[in-house]
Amino acid sequence: MNQEISGDLENTRCPEIIKILSLGKRTGRLALNYGEDGGNIYFQDGQIIHAKCGSVEGPKAIYEMAVWSAGTYRFHVDDVPEVKTVDLSIDEIQAETENRIRQMDRISSLIPSANVVFALDPDIKEKEISLKSIQWRILSRVDGSRSISDIAQGIGLTDSDAMKVFYTLLKMGVIKEVERSHARKGKATLKLPDTPFIGELRNSLINAIGPIAPFIISETAKEMGFDLLADDMDQRAALIESIHSKIPDETMAMDFLNAMTNWLRAEG
Amino acid sequence: MKGTIKDLLNITGVQGYIIAAGKNIQIKVPSRPNLSAIKDRLMDLYRELIETDKRPGNTIEIYMDDAIITIFLSGTVMLLVVSQSTTNMALLRMTGKLVAANIMKER
Repeated sequence: MNQEISGDLENTRCPEIIKILSLGKRTGRLALNYGEDGGNIYFQDGQIIHAKCGSVEGPKAIYEMAVWSAGTYRFHVDDVPEVKTVDLSIDEIQAETENRIRQMDRISSLIPSANVVFALDPDIKEKEISLKSIQWRILSRVDGSRSISDIAQGIGLTDSDAMKVFYTLLKMGVIKEVERSHARKGKATLKLPDTPFIGELRNSLINAIGPIAPFIISETAKEMGFDLLADDMDQRAALIESIHSKIPDETMAMDFLNAMTNWLRAEG
Repeated sequence: MKGTIKDLLNITGVQGYIIAAGKNIQIKVPSRPNLSAIKDRLMDLYRELIETDKRPGNTIEIYMDDAIITIFLSGTVMLLVVSQSTTNMALLRMTGKLVAANIMKER
């Protein structure tokens, strides 16, 4: 039983192919392609010993490819790798891949692909929102222009992992899908007053948390009843302190405070 | 600006400072507000404030008749700054936070 097998992922999805190759105790390389993406899963006597998908290796690569519902596959007999990155049984892998597929099917009902572009939703309904660090890292990069895939690449996540985070953010109501025709036309922007203080504040905050900065400035000023055009140093310092407390990364928060303290000292 | 004690002392009206960290306390204040005589009380204050669950905030301001005491807490470091009531408090607060964080980082 050493013939090559090939087919379409639309008809036979990855977990089923893995099952067939495992039961047949096959040795070789299963190559999968999905659009521009591609990857390989290596088998030895029916056990998976290595997997690679883009820059991702090991079980994560398998789970990434397992959710592909379109594309092609081909099994190359006796093509074995020199490395071993997978140390899980077929049963463990199957259980996790099925779990991921179920999750991905749920996610796909709202987010059909990793090419979708999201923007921040200014009409947020919740009074308080708490975010995990990964959600914040993604949210700070959402700009109404970059796709899920672009953002995932930028922070070293797989598309499916990024889609999971986007799904949660979408459910929280903090992001909304950009109409396809509007995507990539321009960034979601918020007009802030054009003063030296606000310019410095915006630039320093963008360095710390990314393009979400203008929204944070606007929201914080609104919460504090602070007039962004006011020329009062105490009020400005209070605004800086309040914004500083919202920066999740401690180093970035201190860099922001440092830059703004320098600015206030120079101006004061 | 590097966020050092020197930056803090450069602020007009800042008279001196106290740094408490672990079992050590460093007092650099002018003799008139004779805080060096109350070292044990300062250590009690430090022990009280350094426990995060008892902490009223990371910055505490105490307004006195002719001076303001500002306390900055960062991790296990307490920085206490004595300043005149005419001091630019906004600048003092921001600089103090940076200094306390830097002292903590260097420990």
